Amino acid sequence: MRMRRGAPDFILFLTVLILLSIGLVMVFSASAYFAGDPEGPFKDPFHFFKRQLFGAALGIGVMIFMMNYDYHYLKKWVGLMLASALVMLVMVLIPGIGMSVLGARRWIDLGIISFQPSELVKIFITTFTAYGLAQKNELIQKFGKGLLPFLLVTGLAALLILAQPDLGTAATLCGTIFIMLFAAGARGGHLTALAGLGAAGVAAAIYFEPYRMRRFTAFLDPEADPTGSGWNILNALMSLASGGLLGTGLGQGRHSKFLFLPERHTDFIFAAIGEELGFIGGCLVILLFILLAWRGFRVAITCPDTFGSLLAAGLVSGIVLQAFVNIGVVTGSLPVTGITLPFISFGSTSLIFSLMGVGIILNISRYSSRK
Amino acid sequence: MYGTNMGIRKRLTWVLIIASGMFVILMSRLAWVQFVHGDELQKKALEVRMRDIPVEAKRGAILDRNGNELVTSISVDSIYATPGHVKEPQETAEKLAPILGMDFDKLYTKLTKNSSFEWLERKVDSEASQKIRELNLPGINFVEESKRYYLHPSLASHVLGFTGTDNQGLIGIEKSYDAELRGQPGRIVTEYDAAGREVPEAIHQYIPPKPGYDLVLTIDETIQYFVERELDKVVAQYNPKFALAIVMDPETGGILAMGNRPTFDSSRWTEEPREIWDKNPAIYYNYEPGSTFKIVTAASALDEGTVHAGDSFYDPGFIKVADHNLHCWKAGGHGSQTFAEVVQNSCNPCFAEVGMKLGKDNFYKYIKAFGLGAPLGINLPGEASGIIIPQKNATNLNLAIMAIGQSIAVTPIQLISAAAAVANDGVLMKPQLVKELRYNGKTIKKIKPEKVREVVSAETSRQLRNLLESVVAEGTGSNAFVEGYRVGGKTGTAQVVGEKGGYVSGKYVASFAGMAPVDDPKMVMLVVIAEPQGGSYYGGVVAAPVFQAIARDTLRYMGLPEIPSQKKPKQPWEVETPSANVTVPNVLNYPVDEAIQILKAAGLQYQTSGEGNIVCKQTPGAGGQVKNGTSVILNLQPVKQNGKDGELITVPNLKGLTIKEAGNILEEIGLRLVPEGTGLAVTQSVKPGTKVTGGTSVKVKFAPPDEDNDAQPPSGESNAVQEPSNITNPYEN
Repeated sequence: MRMRRGAPDFILFLTVLILLSIGLVMVFSASAYFAGDPEGPFKDPFHFFKRQLFGAALGIGVMIFMMNYDYHYLKKWVGLMLASALVMLVMVLIPGIGMSVLGARRWIDLGIISFQPSELVKIFITTFTAYGLAQKNELIQKFGKGLLPFLLVTGLAALLILAQPDLGTAATLCGTIFIMLFAAGARGGHLTALAGLGAAGVAAAIYFEPYRMRRFTAFLDPEADPTGSGWNILNALMSLASGGLLGTGLGQGRHSKFLFLPERHTDFIFAAIGEELGFIGGCLVILLFILLAWRGFRVAITCPDTFGSLLAAGLVSGIVLQAFVNIGVVTGSLPVTGITLPFISFGSTSLIFSLMGVGIILNISRYSSRK
Repeated sequence: MYGTNMGIRKRLTWVLIIASGMFVILMSRLAWVQFVHGDELQKKALEVRMRDIPVEAKRGAILDRNGNELVTSISVDSIYATPGHVKEPQETAEKLAPILGMDFDKLYTKLTKNSSFEWLERKVDSEASQKIRELNLPGINFVEESKRYYLHPSLASHVLGFTGTDNQGLIGIEKSYDAELRGQPGRIVTEYDAAGREVPEAIHQYIPPKPGYDLVLTIDETIQYFVERELDKVVAQYNPKFALAIVMDPETGGILAMGNRPTFDSSRWTEEPREIWDKNPAIYYNYEPGSTFKIVTAASALDEGTVHAGDSFYDPGFIKVADHNLHCWKAGGHGSQTFAEVVQNSCNPCFAEVGMKLGKDNFYKYIKAFGLGAPLGINLPGEASGIIIPQKNATNLNLAIMAIGQSIAVTPIQLISAAAAVANDGVLMKPQLVKELRYNGKTIKKIKPEKVREVVSAETSRQLRNLLESVVAEGTGSNAFVEGYRVGGKTGTAQVVGEKGGYVSGKYVASFAGMAPVDDPKMVMLVVIAEPQGGSYYGGVVAAPVFQAIARDTLRYMGLPEIPSQKKPKQPWEVETPSANVTVPNVLNYPVDEAIQILKAAGLQYQTSGEGNIVCKQTPGAGGQVKNGTSVILNLQPVKQNGKDGELITVPNLKGLTIKEAGNILEEIGLRLVPEGTGLAVTQSVKPGTKVTGGTSVKVKFAPPDEDNDAQPPSGESNAVQEPSNITNPYEN
């Protein structure tokens, strides 16, 4: 059964481009002082901006390619995707292949560029799960024959990601798959049990890892150790508060720029947005993500086949969940976990694969039944 | 056809709704952070980013009762480093080390420290700071601080005290009025990044300091001069362990002068041994007053009615009390005498008898009423309380001995206050040093004289003063006689009590407590000379002449009318000294240089008081007969502005002038010079041609001309001696 292709979802496309532009500007604004520091390692205010621009260009290329690549063909690659996902996750853990940055092995060094396989793995596992669930159909109500294979695959991938260690990404992946299982019609009892298991897993991951425990106690009371574990969250909050309603103006941020805010152009870029663009700017970004969620789920809902529907839902869930966790961390609503803000934070891998995911969703939108 | 089943669509719709809801929660959280906690967090953010450089407040001046400056603050540079801005710490330290006279390693450590503010040296002299300015080193900065300037070194040093490096009062008035003098420091607040570097377009904020209050003392600079002069003389003659004199206004309790020997230079206290500046003997020294205490005994007995001036006594040369023989200082005794003669003769057995007659309860009642045995609460640090045998332990023998001023220890300030009560018709006043507080030249607080209590009646006081006059006129105090005035007083000679109790043989305290004029005393004075050397040790010989000299000049200076008939009666043993009398010439309204020449020509000495170059008052006045070599006190004041009040004065250009030249020019037209640095004038705070009101201060920066600079020998050695840090002062912190 083949359908005629229509035009992709223009609003979704535009939303992503706006987020991307905000990201480019903010990456430059937040990083310029640090990157241009004559005593620093870069000595070029445009250092990060140039790299982000390159990533964005590449990402848009990938997005446009995926937009035109019939998502039905993805089914053919599912096996390969699953295998390569697991291989990459194992490889990244091997010293010599996996690059260790700040105590975490999340990157594979490919010579000129390094990339973060977990970003790609998220798309692969999502595709695999969408494919599998579409095959099982009603069988999903069963545990052994329906649910278990997905749980095993996702669980294994999540554990490998957790081993990097990267609790944030692992949790986002699990959350995404959970939403897909829910959408596919898994039984309420099963889902409740899974949610409980997930919560217990996260609790254990925090409790048995001292640095996570410190972050967690700092989340509960940042003032207890203002120059240590509370530093990140306190300075994020101070940056946000310095913005007020309208912000200090683009490029005029002080707290976020002058090295007080850590990870100012990556994980905590939302704090820089809050300082320079204020509450209005922060809300604009959140509204754009709501818009993205709406258009993304709309594509999933209007998709004529189950695979496409679940795939779109999974991909958009992944992005939205990540955004939610990131903004939650920056506003002090969630404990600190190293996770980027999709389309906005600095980081080419994240950018390219997020755009790849959007490309797939846009492709699915072209087969919408509501045209 | 809808390919997706309805279940999936419904559930995905739910997911979308929940997701949107969660994002809305994030927005409200954002609002909570930015608005509800916004102000508090913003303030905290500023605190994190801003760092302070303190700016010292100008410490208040200390003035004498007539408004003459005794202590002021002058501006000096302090040097600090911003280590983040220092480009080449190695080279910078090498250049600075010789100029500041500091260790290279110590400097290098400071310059490379991970901080944004490091003091290198506080209050450097202007030459060194000028040299460092010229080096123009990045990261080396200057802050203007004030340094205490004592206008008259060694004048009333123990009273004025001194300050430490941070201008904190450590001793004397500087300490007890530290809070008032200190003012409120200001701040320069600058924005820094997290690495401690000043950021581009940094927020700067200057919070100006609030200067301290000026203190107006009860001290009279001129009387203080008399005291210092006479103390120097007595030290030269007798080389005592220490000597002190206190002059008090009996009506208010205000201290007019308080001097101690040995003394020190307040601005160089670190070079003096600690025991010299540590304590002020005038308020700290517990000593047995000896016969001067008989003022207290006599006042008590007269007031209580135990004795009357006409009562007759008999002194066989000793008195037997509880198996002890108390001997009179005069071998063989004074024989039959009235109470007036007992006082005149300072007869010990008779006073012992009076003390016992007065009785324990009465005697102690008066001792306490006179303020003895407890600090009087003068506003100076370190006042002692005196030592008195507890009343319940006192025996008859104790009473007898205490009546003659032994077995009781008092401080000089206690004794003079007690004597002042007699002078003030029986009312004890609290001794005071500070008259008022001023801010910007305006009086903001007057400190009123404080009456402690009425100790004896006015009648008793009057009677006793007449007795004291006879002591000077006819008795042991004849050396204190001042021609032209009715002076009363009492001599005292006591043995020094050793550290373990018991008297130290050959060590005496000679003292004299007196007042004048006795009919209405305007000044009370106590002179204490501890352990004089070279034979004489009697109060009447060692201390009374000091009293006489100070009293003579003070009474004349106060402008009290002289009584021509009041001539010193010739003692039979006295020989007319052939010292020529000189008539004091008139130097009023003369320029000071000319006045000095006139006085010298007349065979007189001079002393100046106040600032300026015109004599506005001279003591003694023209026409007075004084001995050859007497000092004439010249009160100076700046030339009066010829323009009417309120007329504006045009500020001249001072560039290129020396400090003296600039000072003269400004003084002539009625402006004040505040010099900074040395050499020739470079810049001035008020532009030439500006119209200002009379008395305005013009701050002028002086810098050495370049060619002179090279010619001068390096003076780093002598100037580098700043307060050495190894001297630890117990009063710091």
